Amino acid sequence: MSHDRDIGAGPPDEYVEAEIQRLLAEDPAVAEQGITVVRRERALVLYGEVESPHRREEILRRVSERFPDVPITNDIGVIRAQAPTEIEQLP
Amino acid sequence: MVIRIAAVGDVHLDQDVVGRFRPALEELPECADVLLLAGDLTRHGTEAEARCVAEEFGGLAVPVVTVLGNHDHQCDQVPQVVKVLEDAGITVLEGNGVVLDCAGGRLGIAGVKGFGGGFAGRCASDFGEPEMKAFVRTTTDSADRLGDALRSLDCDMLVALTHYAPVPDTLAGEPLEIYPFLGSYQLGQAIDSAPRRWPCTGTRTPAPSAARPPAGCGYATSRTR
Repeated sequence: MSHDRDIGAGPPDEYVEAEIQRLLAEDPAVAEQGITVVRRERALVLYGEVESPHRREEILRRVSERFPDVPITNDIGVIRAQAPTEIEQLP
Repeated sequence: MVIRIAAVGDVHLDQDVVGRFRPALEELPECADVLLLAGDLTRHGTEAEARCVAEEFGGLAVPVVTVLGNHDHQCDQVPQVVKVLEDAGITVLEGNGVVLDCAGGRLGIAGVKGFGGGFAGRCASDFGEPEMKAFVRTTTDSADRLGDALRSLDCDMLVALTHYAPVPDTLAGEPLEIYPFLGSYQLGQAIDSAPRRWPCTGTRTPAPSAARPPAGCGYATSRTR
């Protein structure tokens, strides 16, 4: 993971982006590989879809805990669980 | 002859999700002959999470057939996960197949989890460090077992069930740079080696089949990230 530099200080760089991407997958409390991390000036935007509101909030909590000085925009949705309305008909 | 297939992948079940899918699943007998699960049934692949899957997808009035995904391997409890699923009546495929008698004919399903490696012209090679060779050979072995399973089934229609992508078409929206972690052309090649028992290909994404020539059988897959 991170080395000696204070990775949480200053605007998020590619190392912060990489560390968050890995945190999302490797932190057992998150275990999400489908979240995209985008750097926007001093902030980070997280987007993608998860299976429950609890998981969405947990992602924000874990990332904010690790990078308290980086403003995070949470643009993560919760997947739908309704029956699909379209079919794919193969000839 | 019509066989109706419902398919879903990446449900990543744990306690917090149990019950969310069940209302839709209860409608299945009215609209599908079989339900295919394309892997990543759990978050971490624990026996406890597998019990959530059994609760959500067990006891349905249609047969349920699945492969595991990479998430289902995370805690190295694959035998326990498989047992819980099979005890709930869910058929778990890995290098083998099953034939179901449906109203529209005999549906053959062969499945593997699959693995990565990338797609033609942009793929990893069986060359160099032992780790790299092991990576590529894992996929080759998986694809070989999928091809063998597909060719062994006596049926009217044939479907390949994988977690990792056999074609790049199903990865639309993912960054190109990570495609080699999400699928392999070797799985597609195995599918194309199957006897022709399907007039076109089917995927998880809406109507992408025009981007690809007809193959020997249909397929259901789910690997994204």
